Amino acid sequence: MNIDTLKEYTPKVIESTRQNSLMQAIALGIPSMKNEEWKYTYYNKILQQGFAPTYTPATVNIKKDFIDKHSVSGNNIVFLNGIYQPELSSLKPSAGVVFTNTANTSEQISNDFLIELNNAFATDGLYLEISDNVILTDLIEVLYIQSNTSGIIQHRNKIKIGKHAQVSLAEYYISYDNLPVYVNNVTHIEIDERAIFDSYKIQDGGEVFYITEQTFVQQAKNSTATVNTFSLSGAITRNVLQFDSQDERTLSNMNGLYLLKKNEHVDNRTLVNHNAPNCESNELYKGIIDGNAVGVFNGKIRVAQEAQKTNAFQSNRNILLSEDAAIYTKPQLEIFADDVKCSHGATIAQIEESELFYLQARGIGKDVARGLLVYAFAGELLEKIKHEALKLSLKKRIADLLNIEI
Amino acid sequence: MLKIKNLHVSIEGKKILKGFSLDVNAGEIHAIMGPNGTGKSTLAAVLAGKEGYEITDGTVEFEGLNILELEPEERARLGVFLAFQYPVEIPGVSNANFLKAAVNEIRKSKGLDNILPNDFLKMIREKMELVEMSKDFISRSVNQGFSGGEKKRNEIFQLAMLDPKLSILDETDSGLDIDALRIVANGVNKLRTSNNAFIVITHYQRLLEYIVPDIVHVMYDGKIVKSGDKNLALELEEKGYDWVKELDNVPAN
Repeated sequence: MNIDTLKEYTPKVIESTRQNSLMQAIALGIPSMKNEEWKYTYYNKILQQGFAPTYTPATVNIKKDFIDKHSVSGNNIVFLNGIYQPELSSLKPSAGVVFTNTANTSEQISNDFLIELNNAFATDGLYLEISDNVILTDLIEVLYIQSNTSGIIQHRNKIKIGKHAQVSLAEYYISYDNLPVYVNNVTHIEIDERAIFDSYKIQDGGEVFYITEQTFVQQAKNSTATVNTFSLSGAITRNVLQFDSQDERTLSNMNGLYLLKKNEHVDNRTLVNHNAPNCESNELYKGIIDGNAVGVFNGKIRVAQEAQKTNAFQSNRNILLSEDAAIYTKPQLEIFADDVKCSHGATIAQIEESELFYLQARGIGKDVARGLLVYAFAGELLEKIKHEALKLSLKKRIADLLNIEI
Repeated sequence: MLKIKNLHVSIEGKKILKGFSLDVNAGEIHAIMGPNGTGKSTLAAVLAGKEGYEITDGTVEFEGLNILELEPEERARLGVFLAFQYPVEIPGVSNANFLKAAVNEIRKSKGLDNILPNDFLKMIREKMELVEMSKDFISRSVNQGFSGGEKKRNEIFQLAMLDPKLSILDETDSGLDIDALRIVANGVNKLRTSNNAFIVITHYQRLLEYIVPDIVHVMYDGKIVKSGDKNLALELEEKGYDWVKELDNVPAN
């Protein structure tokens, strides 16, 4: 796809809002590396694989046991090539939980190419509304399954969580046949007062899976939101995560683990806007980078002048396993209030030789020893998973990726 | 079992071992004593296969096999065990996972299947008693937050789990109080058989009251300068290491 391809779509687009978005996307142009936000990620490389927007993505037949294999709670919503699959989904009916599938596109025009691309073409998406005081113990799982399509698959999601409600959501990016696919998702989440929301994003679609996704979280007074992003495999993955703390005493947690090998590329960009006093944000991203893989981390914290007594902590820690692995890490603090506690730190290290030798001296081969040490490094993020079955499943998957037994 | 001949080792160009020779047979306990900086710990590290040492001359044969070219894990699988002077803390790796990996890697090298979970737990319980480890130890991270005594006990516990042929105890007594010393020594004595051997590296005679050596070697300036029976350790304790320095240039027996 290029800008000319997009122009060919304009006559076919009927709805005026989509038309406006498309025109805006064309006007903004495809993100280039000259743009500071895209400095280390070459977006055109995704498009060069031959992906193009579509309103009619290909369909395939998927067996239910494929879903069961990928679901830990059995409480799931399945999308296949961007289209909701009611017969494959098994969301348990629950009072105070409204789910519909719809493309939750927006009439507001943004300055982001990928949001406007999504606005113009998103065919379906998740709309989830949790009523006040509803506490869901079952994890809700959303499976984005992709199969053999050159169409850009775009979900447009909206999630609303009522006052005092508690809900956990896991989103999985899954490949059905390990053929090249590209998903461009946009998700808006609104969290009302005193609600608690936990989100898990599991990106494990294999070596030819491309993801760009953006998640925007708005938090009302006293609410808690946690987003855990696990990037375990994928050709190029770019995650934008933004928190807007709009009222007092919000708590925002961002945790990320990226495990990169070969030529994989993950770009995590987070932004926390502290707009009100007495709020807290905690951010921990850890990366393990092998082969020729590249990791990018950009963490921005903005503390507005009225956001006094803000506590904001950020940490990005990386282990490079090969000479050719790379990490670009950049914290950005913009603080306009004077009574705040903010800290950030970034580390880049290698496997500790003394630890490696100790394990080898007990008969453990170098590769397994490295695997155990890397697994230990990742452990801190795995332990943050509150859902036990999901935690176990991710532990097993990561042990598999590291060729160790746990 | 172990034959070291005329071993010369340098670190970054500095000569540390200068013609070290030693024969150890199955069933024997050898003590190596000597002042600081004579190369005792270098010897232990070289035997275990630590990187960063340049071997300029000499051979080390373990059961007839030249082990100097082998990776540390290959030596461990053959049955060479080093009890570290400074056991390494490994945050996030539990003792259970660590030991399971070690036991299974060694089994795999012998063509055996992974140990069954129940057998593994039973083995752990048995061996833990040997060095009086508390039960919570197994779920804790390797050596993390352990006291000096616990770390050394953990070394002996690992020794018991892996059942090596040759164990090198590198100053296992340093930093131990008398109770911990007794526990560690009892552990070693219970593990001693006619088929395995121990090299006990120490500064002080104290440990040798509990682990009684067959042969005591005095090391100075990179080689053995005197060997004798257990009474040599007492003599050293009495005369001090200055006496040893005068022994240099005297050929070892």
